[in-house]
Amino acid sequence: MRKHSLLLAGAGFALIAALGTVAFGQGAPNISKAGPFTAAQVTSGQQQFDANCAPCHLADLSGTNDAPALAGAPFMGAWGKRTTAQLYSKIATTMPAGAGGSLSPQQYTDIVAYILDRNGAHAGGTAFTPGTAVQIDTIASGRATTPTRTAQTSGRQESASASGQGNAPQQSNFARAMSGQHVPDPGTFTLPSRLGLTLKGNIQNYQPVTEAMMLNPPASDWLMYRRNYQGWSYSPLDQINTSNVGTLQLKWMWSVAQNGTLEGTPMVHSGVLFLWSPGNTVQAFNATTGELLWENRLGPDPRRPGPGPSTAETRSLGLWGNNVYVNTPEGYVYALDARTGEQVWKTHITDELKSPRGGMFGGSTGGLIIIKGRVLVGMTNCGANGDNNHCYISAYDAKTGKRDWKFVTTALTGQPGGDTWGKLPDNMRKGAETWIAGTYDPELNTTYWGTAQAKPWRRDLRGSGDGATDYANSTLALDPETGKLKWFYNHAPGESLDLDEVFERVLVDHGSEKSLLTIGKPGILWKLDRVTGKFIAARETVFNNVYENFDEKTGKVVYRKDIRDQKVDQWLASCPGPEGGHDWQATSYHQPTDALIIPLSQSCVFMLGNGSQTYFEMPGTDGNMGRLSAYRTSDLKPLWSFQQRAPFLTGVISTAGNVAFVGDFDRVFRAVDVRNGKTLWKTRLATTVQGYPVTFSVDGHQYVAVTTGLGGGSPELKPGTMLTEVHRPPHGYALYVFGLPDSQ
Amino acid sequence: MRSRLFLALALALTAARAFAADYQANLGPMPLDDETKAVIAGRGEATASSDGKTMTVKGSFHGLPSNATEAHIFSSISPGVPGTKLLDLEVTKATSGTVSGTFKLTAAEAAALRTGKLYVQINSEKAPETYPWGPKGTLWGWLLPAHVTVGQDVPQQDHWFLPQYDTAKR
Repeated sequence: MRKHSLLLAGAGFALIAALGTVAFGQGAPNISKAGPFTAAQVTSGQQQFDANCAPCHLADLSGTNDAPALAGAPFMGAWGKRTTAQLYSKIATTMPAGAGGSLSPQQYTDIVAYILDRNGAHAGGTAFTPGTAVQIDTIASGRATTPTRTAQTSGRQESASASGQGNAPQQSNFARAMSGQHVPDPGTFTLPSRLGLTLKGNIQNYQPVTEAMMLNPPASDWLMYRRNYQGWSYSPLDQINTSNVGTLQLKWMWSVAQNGTLEGTPMVHSGVLFLWSPGNTVQAFNATTGELLWENRLGPDPRRPGPGPSTAETRSLGLWGNNVYVNTPEGYVYALDARTGEQVWKTHITDELKSPRGGMFGGSTGGLIIIKGRVLVGMTNCGANGDNNHCYISAYDAKTGKRDWKFVTTALTGQPGGDTWGKLPDNMRKGAETWIAGTYDPELNTTYWGTAQAKPWRRDLRGSGDGATDYANSTLALDPETGKLKWFYNHAPGESLDLDEVFERVLVDHGSEKSLLTIGKPGILWKLDRVTGKFIAARETVFNNVYENFDEKTGKVVYRKDIRDQKVDQWLASCPGPEGGHDWQATSYHQPTDALIIPLSQSCVFMLGNGSQTYFEMPGTDGNMGRLSAYRTSDLKPLWSFQQRAPFLTGVISTAGNVAFVGDFDRVFRAVDVRNGKTLWKTRLATTVQGYPVTFSVDGHQYVAVTTGLGGGSPELKPGTMLTEVHRPPHGYALYVFGLPDSQ
Repeated sequence: MRSRLFLALALALTAARAFAADYQANLGPMPLDDETKAVIAGRGEATASSDGKTMTVKGSFHGLPSNATEAHIFSSISPGVPGTKLLDLEVTKATSGTVSGTFKLTAAEAAALRTGKLYVQINSEKAPETYPWGPKGTLWGWLLPAHVTVGQDVPQQDHWFLPQYDTAKR
């Protein structure tokens, strides 16, 4: 009975949080005591919040992903028993993410005043100061008692239209800097600049990307996210090999916008390298010389200086015919002419549907895959409880941009798995984002996608009880021509700790066995039958204490009891933490040795609700957050591992030269021998090596390309706090291209 | 895998007879954030030897932001989950020094040691008072079965130590 009551209460709180200000004044606890802040501070605080906090926490303070809710029950659960001074200290030392302390004390005090106001505290006659210490639940109820003011900016989508009206925050900061006001590090500005086709190209003799090329990519090219439909990130090129990789040298580099989030994959075809960078800038380069051939700045520019959130990037482009395809964090899909950079078509994955929380509904950050003339894209950050919107995977005609189909990634009433959400109505079934584009088996005509956990990700707030919440945290097998679900496998039913199983699906054959391998944040390497979706095997790769029991023979997980019984005001330990045992830094399948090379992370969190997280080293790791390991896919046997203090922040590529490349948080880009893990070459770049390296060849010369950059979620934020001895510049976003000396 | 576990257990039993270090802990910072990382820091190591009835703990630490005040053995439900205070250790009241202690173990405590549920915690003067794992907690590390550790960037072939595979279940 008590459990049911708590769950019902949790559901109610979630609804209240979702409805936010809609419910203001209705039944809120009667807190008449004036808060220790003024109305003027609230007004100023909203402006500061919208400019500096809303890109992650959203304008209605409901939070998203790594950014917790700052209003309602989640906030009060985490902060109700603590003081306003502690809230100020937390925000002033840690926010904006990655740039703690970069605002002025007045900006921080005003932001705290605004947060208190949005939680029902009343303004009074005394100004809030950093030392003002009042227990928060004595002045705030979690429910706003005044209407939301008209938001000046209300979310990531509303910051600008793609037509180029998006520079207001940067102009504002610039203007403030010019007038002598305190602003974040001025070196991180993106100065206002013209959007659109800023350099039109005229690439001659560009060879259209054909269906045959997609099925069997030319050795010289990198045509799609993980290079082939099977998601291997393996190149048959072998000019760079274990004996000469030590002589690699820089051939050219290109600097991109110095803020936002960069986790992209360069694409290469016909000697042209295509790159996405912050601000949705798409560029084409001569792949051997680094000469810029065209540039289309689709916009909007990043909303604030410094590193961006995990919702502000896209992880791959796509090539097909004479076009290059882009999906943007704002939810647009573009086709650009690969020869000129001109826009061929543009569509929005939700037709610019207005979100009840402001801005447009739907973002898309996970890259894309093109199958049989259709552009398949996923969605992220797509749904607050209470509205009727859901995440989906959708397909668009590559020639016209017309939507062909869509598949909603949460099981709704009446669908297979629809009974796994407890009694939640369909408009409360959220989450199941697709953070990485899927893979494809041409023979089975099936595309495979991973999904994130249900939202809210804490089951005590979600209200789904012990339900599995299908199709969240699942592998989905879809018909790419219709979007019809063939099968699904839920890896972590009822997930509750932001440990999603959403990352790459790698397709490998052993004789007649057609398998799918994947690894998510819990660090379990899964092997499924990709024909039927049946479980084959699993192997834990990092320490895990969130499962009281994990059966490697069946794949069944049982969460620890305190996680099953979690409450919003209770501290919970989680190993791995939200950085994940494995995250978006994708694996590489080295076919000659049957080795799956996996970037692993080793950190834990101790969290209070979703409002406070503290981090610690994973037991048994000697403080090493980064690990690179190889596992044999036939039997999941560990082959080799090495660990280091800094986590790896790139995907892995491997080649027929028996070399694998990977980059890390502490600026090191390295080559290792895929047979034993020995480092053969390394160099240190401008800032964190982050993104997806690729290799390609032009005129018989092999190259390796990789990006450096900042921004993102837990894989950036956790080591940013824990590795106190690692110092990185806040700039250095760039593309590097390496090759052998000309004499070789 | 199973044979490897048996081998590890056999080695542990052999080591027990020799009264060598059967368990090892790498001491690292307790849970921290950007607000508290200035006062929760440092590193250390500890070992524990046990014949099943007694336990001797020895360790060292350095780099604490403020002087150590006390040190204890805690018992938890799993590595990585804060637990309850069990035994008191001697500790150097400085930013670097040693911890030590010899104890008689109950059967339950011996089982907790064997299954990786005991950890060393060192408190210090300036660490926060209000965190739920106990006031002033600064360094901690779980006592796990002795195993080979390699340096950074040094690849190890085949099996890699993981507590859930390499710690006794009961």
